[in-house]
Amino acid sequence: MQTTPSTPDTDLQADNLRRAAIDKSVKVPVLFLFTNGAFWLMLSTILGVLAAIKLVEPEFLGNCQYISYGRLQPAHINALVYGWGVQAALGVMLWIMARRSGQELKSGKSLLLVAAIFWNITITFGILAVVMGKSTSIEWLEMPKFVWPILLGCFLCYAWPIVRMFGRAFRPEGFMVSTWYILGACFWFPWIFITANVALHCLPGLGALGAGIDAWYIHGVIMLFFVPVGVGAAYYFIPKITGQPIASAQLASAGFWTLAILGGWTGMQKYMGGPLPAWMTSIGAATGVLLLIPVGLVGLNHHLTTLGKHSAAASSPTLRFVFFGALFYPVSGVVLALNSAFWTGASLQFTQSWYAFQMVSVYGFFSMCVFGAIYYIVPRLSGCEWLSVRLIRNHFWFSVYGVGTIVIMSLVAGWQQGADLNDPEHWDQTFMNHVVNSRAYVVSRAVAWALISFSNLMFLIHLLLMVLGLGRRSSAPTLLHHDHDETALPNGAHA
Amino acid sequence: MTNFRTFILGLTAAFGLPWLCLIVLPAMQYQQLIPVAYDKDKDGVEGIYPPAPINAQGQLVYVREGCNQCHTQMIRPQQLGLDGWYKGWGQDQQGRPTAPVRPNVLRDYLSEKYALLGVQRVGPELANYGWRAPDEAALYQHLYSPRSVHDWSTMPAYTQLFKVQKIQGPVSTDALKLPKKFAVAAGYEVVPTLEAKQLVQYLQSLKKDYPIPGQSAAVAAAPAKK
Repeated sequence: MQTTPSTPDTDLQADNLRRAAIDKSVKVPVLFLFTNGAFWLMLSTILGVLAAIKLVEPEFLGNCQYISYGRLQPAHINALVYGWGVQAALGVMLWIMARRSGQELKSGKSLLLVAAIFWNITITFGILAVVMGKSTSIEWLEMPKFVWPILLGCFLCYAWPIVRMFGRAFRPEGFMVSTWYILGACFWFPWIFITANVALHCLPGLGALGAGIDAWYIHGVIMLFFVPVGVGAAYYFIPKITGQPIASAQLASAGFWTLAILGGWTGMQKYMGGPLPAWMTSIGAATGVLLLIPVGLVGLNHHLTTLGKHSAAASSPTLRFVFFGALFYPVSGVVLALNSAFWTGASLQFTQSWYAFQMVSVYGFFSMCVFGAIYYIVPRLSGCEWLSVRLIRNHFWFSVYGVGTIVIMSLVAGWQQGADLNDPEHWDQTFMNHVVNSRAYVVSRAVAWALISFSNLMFLIHLLLMVLGLGRRSSAPTLLHHDHDETALPNGAHA
Repeated sequence: MTNFRTFILGLTAAFGLPWLCLIVLPAMQYQQLIPVAYDKDKDGVEGIYPPAPINAQGQLVYVREGCNQCHTQMIRPQQLGLDGWYKGWGQDQQGRPTAPVRPNVLRDYLSEKYALLGVQRVGPELANYGWRAPDEAALYQHLYSPRSVHDWSTMPAYTQLFKVQKIQGPVSTDALKLPKKFAVAAGYEVVPTLEAKQLVQYLQSLKKDYPIPGQSAAVAAAPAKK
């Protein structure tokens, strides 16, 4: 698919008709996933506020067992990861793959819808179970074990048509870049998910090795699912909107394969110095730092692609979100490296910097890219344009400042916690210094989540209006206009 | 990469290797891991290592409440942290430890289905909490009302593990003796439920620094206190 048609009007029209047909074929499942994902995101951010408050003031809203920190925090993370993250990712993956491969979704639309409904019902029960006291305390897999076969089945219902589209696509030169990542995500997630769940729920018990596998699972889902979807979306939308081809095919290829090769090794460094055999944590730490290579390659490629086109980010909402998401990718790589390397990891281990890593990769990077994708995709599916520039702009700024605050504060708090813990003066002290010193950071986290909740409320309302078909009836896309650059975007950019 | 099959093969190979080396083979090897016997001559003690399993019923309560969100159960070696030098974080409860508490090994968690190594260390480390745990009454009070012990505590009060009941006849033997500020209404008493008792037994059973057979004979030779 080319961004600038080289042939006369009839071809352009045929092209547009073909695109419209593809959009129409995936409309129902994709919009369903986005809408439900936005609801879960809303819930997750509210739970994030509550959990942060409970960490400072455990008596907030009373000593009710259902909202103690130990139950709220897993519910918050699970809602973010499975309710929003995977769900929204599936929508983006399906749409990009359909568009990129030029294939309509031929059959199985109702199956996709049923799978999406089941996904949501299962997660609802799973998170309720965590709050009601059925948590497994296995990080990111806190939901009871009945949920995982259902989630896996639902995921495969989506992965199959995506892989089929890829297989059937006509592949001209330069086809692969974003589809590689999406195919990779389709392929890795079930593998990681099955491995972790079978190991932790079905095998007779792996003791401390189980904890290592869990840490590997979390890093795997981030590095081999959320990251590929985010990078795939960035590789799709940045060239499409700026009208620039991807700067370097070699960089793109190298960035992909180094991620594929290194991604599976990292994770167990979370328990460095622990009961796991030392080679496991060491290799995790080494790859955690080495992952700076794919991160840097992709970052460099995006930088070269957008060079001189930065002003386009001022007017296109999609580009603005994707652009900042892509900026957060190197940041998440650096946070991972800081947590992994022994000389910083020793201080940051078991502190809030762990939370910083999860949030910068799942929210700062992945979610921002997906927001950008949603701002692009939804108008094409619902047939109307976004209503309000102000809502988009607020969503953007509150998200950026919110997630930036969370990441920076959690990192600094992590450093502080590590310093308190490793202060020789504290050898015979209670944890008072530790608790009191980190309090301010958690308060700022609560405030930041509140800002993000506010931005997500606007996003949710905006999205709901669009899905209901109440958007602007116009052929011109909603752009965040700036006075000085009316011509920043090429005309074909919003086809 | 023009060929679909080559591409998939590449993905499989790239991920399959770490999957095999980090997960599958270690998991298979772990199944062979069994308790070992101490050698009386070398280790100075008799019996099987690890000697005592944790209280599994109480661990269920710990899991359910998500205690591992804030409490770790893993002592790190000296080069990574000062865990081993903290007062009372091992068997030795007196003053400044003469030698650091040993870091944990795989066998310490042998009896557990899933080792609760912990997410963050917001509260104190608990791997060897059994040695420094106060008496049961104090533990119950800590679980029921953490702020009656430390006013700065951010630990949730697990009131659901306790029952507030009207005093009928003499006060129950296991009723909590709370400070005035935290006490319940006159004529009522707070008693631990079965779950609270199990949780406390679990916390008391957390002793993961038993000497390792063939290693640290000096520590093994030290007299056990409890």
